[in-house]
Amino acid sequence: MTSVARVKEPETRGRRIASLSRSSTALGWAAAIIAPVLVSLLDLLDPRPSAQLAGFFFLLAVALSAHLGGLYPGILATVLSTLSLDYFFTPPRHDIIPSSSDKVGGVILFAIVGLLISQLFELGRGARREAESASARANRLQQVTARLAESLTPQEVLDAVVTEGVQAAEARAGAIGLVTADGETVEIVASHGYEPNLFHGWETFSVASDTPMAEAIRTKRPFFFSSSRARNDKFPSMAGLPGPSHALAVLPLVVDGRAIGGLAFTFRTEVEFDAERRALKTALAQQAAQALDRVRLYQNEQALRERMTFLAEASELLGSSLDFQATLAKLAQLTVPRLATWCSVDVVGPDGSLQRLALAHENPEQVAWAERLSEEYPPDPDAPMGVPNVIRTKTAEFVPEISDDLLVEATQGDERLLEILREVGLRSAITVPLVARGTALGALSLIRDTTAPPYTELDLELATELARRAASAIDNSALFREAERRGDAARALAHVDDGVVLLDGDGTVLSINPAAARILLTNGEGVVGESAQTIPGWSAVEESARPGPGENRGPLTIPISLADGSERWISASAVDFGEGSVYALRDVTEERVLERARSDFVATASHELRTPLAAVLGAIKTIRRRDVEIDPEQREALMGMIEHESVRLAGIVSQILLAGQLDAGRLHLSIEQFDPVALAQSVVESAETHLPDGIDLRVHASGDVPRVAGDPNQLHQVLSNLLDNAIKYSPQGGNIELRLNRDGDYARIEIADNGLGIPRDEQERIFEKFYRLDPALTRGVSGTGLGLYISRELVERMKGRISVKSESGRGSTFVVEVPLAV
Amino acid sequence: MEVIQAQDGGEGLELAKSENPDLVLLDLMMPRVDGWTAAQGLMEDEGTRRIPFLFLTARATAADRRRAEELGALGYILKPFDPVKLPPLVADVVARCARGEAEDLRRERPAALWPADLEDR
Repeated sequence: MTSVARVKEPETRGRRIASLSRSSTALGWAAAIIAPVLVSLLDLLDPRPSAQLAGFFFLLAVALSAHLGGLYPGILATVLSTLSLDYFFTPPRHDIIPSSSDKVGGVILFAIVGLLISQLFELGRGARREAESASARANRLQQVTARLAESLTPQEVLDAVVTEGVQAAEARAGAIGLVTADGETVEIVASHGYEPNLFHGWETFSVASDTPMAEAIRTKRPFFFSSSRARNDKFPSMAGLPGPSHALAVLPLVVDGRAIGGLAFTFRTEVEFDAERRALKTALAQQAAQALDRVRLYQNEQALRERMTFLAEASELLGSSLDFQATLAKLAQLTVPRLATWCSVDVVGPDGSLQRLALAHENPEQVAWAERLSEEYPPDPDAPMGVPNVIRTKTAEFVPEISDDLLVEATQGDERLLEILREVGLRSAITVPLVARGTALGALSLIRDTTAPPYTELDLELATELARRAASAIDNSALFREAERRGDAARALAHVDDGVVLLDGDGTVLSINPAAARILLTNGEGVVGESAQTIPGWSAVEESARPGPGENRGPLTIPISLADGSERWISASAVDFGEGSVYALRDVTEERVLERARSDFVATASHELRTPLAAVLGAIKTIRRRDVEIDPEQREALMGMIEHESVRLAGIVSQILLAGQLDAGRLHLSIEQFDPVALAQSVVESAETHLPDGIDLRVHASGDVPRVAGDPNQLHQVLSNLLDNAIKYSPQGGNIELRLNRDGDYARIEIADNGLGIPRDEQERIFEKFYRLDPALTRGVSGTGLGLYISRELVERMKGRISVKSESGRGSTFVVEVPLAV
Repeated sequence: MEVIQAQDGGEGLELAKSENPDLVLLDLMMPRVDGWTAAQGLMEDEGTRRIPFLFLTARATAADRRRAEELGALGYILKPFDPVKLPPLVADVVARCARGEAEDLRRERPAALWPADLEDR
């Protein structure tokens, strides 16, 4: 309110001064007529009036008239006074034409004095008027300065300079042009007093153009043209401008030696610019330049502060919650109306489609209207501009001025939509992508309508920063949710023995539980977030088990090759659940090896059983022949063969049964103390009954071998097995030694042969159930693959140990250690 | 009918070359050189290629039988077998081969020469 009062004051004073000068003139004329008449009335009062006294009063009347009205009323008063003095007071009285030379001289003298007085007063009056006018100008300049000092926006500065400035500069119209940011163009930002359309086509012009303002800006020098002709002499291009000749002043607006724009004043008539006028206008331009610069700085600072405050608020908001949908809605609300008239946030949904997360406008009715509109006009994902394009290219779109052409192009011939958009009055738009870790999550759109200033580069920077923070918030929230979700699932899956691998629709690993990692990953590499194809052997799994949409596959047994080159068999099942797929894996390598051994065992066992049966059946068929005479000796040999093969058959069957019992844990050993040397001797004795030719079998006990604790029957079985093996695997014959000695708390029994031997890498496996050496290595030696397995199981159940030392082709030594009796 | 015996595959192969028998009966599980290797040796040698051979074995799996067929065996007799019925069976095979019916025999796969084994049931 203060500023309004101050603005009004100079106007009132100015008007008072002007009206005073007008009434003075009227008063002067009145005085010029009335005063001489009043003096003439002295003639009626006094029959012999004094001419000197009358002359004195007439001079007073002239002086009064000149004082009040200036030169011309003074002259009128002088004429009237001279006539009255001549007619009424100078003898001979009452004659018009002066008769005496004295009288003529007196009248002329009086007239001269009157005129001199009038002239004198006129000079004083002029000086006073000049002083008053200068004071008024100074006053106006002061007012402009005061108003400029209070201006906080460029518009206010321009208003102050142009409206007040025109008055202060005694001009009829004025304009301000500012150099744009690129330094190449002048833009008329404010004008006052010009006829409309004067600047049509001249809203902007080049700094390099041949115009007074551009010249003033280029040279940083003011131009004063007293007439249109003077102007046209210097700028011939302006000769065509209409209107009467007038004066023009163009001044550069210079701050810190840099011309930021120009100030032009147009006068009503031709004016000679004296030094004082020039100085005044130059001062006005300086004031304006300073004010504009100050406003610019102030505004920059203010804008910066606002931006910082806004970003701080936005950051606080974004960090306040992990519910990013709600947060983004609040953020959009925060931008209106400060940063935008309209604000929207769109994100890319899981299926790749656009989802509008937030739409904000000051007026909720407008929001509802816009929501209906966007339902009616969903975004075209292939549109060359707008949100889909920004997300696709991850590049911001900045349209400082939305031209009508752009609207026409954007609406693609939809007249109704074009009409709507025109009505909304969109001015300026910024769309920035929400990018986190290289992925465009969505876009933030800011739009200003014509009620707000257009966006600048600074706004784009702010929007970019805002988008960066928002994207980071969305990403954090998504990561958190994912971690939480994965955490739940991972906790459960960590305890599952089956491997579970969860993939998303693109085949990216979302989760892999420890069991699956044990099966698939040989060096603990991190595969979560990577394509499943990076898992060694995964392609084999997908090739056979990958489920179609909604399908349930498996279980299928698949061989896969791991990173370390090893091969595994896995059983895989897979389910597609729409958004991805789950694979359940089980390592069946061991089962498969066992299965293969079992099927080998069936073949081997059948062979082992059929071979003695063949001898038995052959012998019986021969004995029962009636066509051939069999002597008693032959019969005895055949019967012996039947007996021997039957015993062998029984031995194989009991071996199979024993293995079954050991597997089921149903075999019970009866531990007792006995002499191992005696046991060894009995084993050798029973072996000697069927010893092939070329085998030399000996027992050698060194030193005192104490009694052992164990099951003597089972140990007998073990040593028999080992001895049978030694004989079997010495097909060329050779020496077999059974050695006994004490080794600490154990009795050590060694069975050494110099037969085929066992390759080093097979030595560990020969104790496995059903395991048999490669037939090429055994040279046709048959067996069930159970003997050594049974031996190991029995010895270990007696708390003993069994091992082998062997070299291929050089024979083997099996060592059985049985604990001594305490 | 004269029968020549060998202790293993290697010996059998040598005898087949030197004696040029009408037919070879091969066991599979033999020391040193097994029946598979011996059969391969027979087929690879120009002098023994045309000698018909039968396997006589306790190995009763379908896979073994297939392998025998692939090697060119005319039969796969499983142990235990009837020693009384074996000579007439062998004589019959020798006679048919002498008449040049080896290929017919291969196509016919008579049950006496290709008995069903336990695994097939």
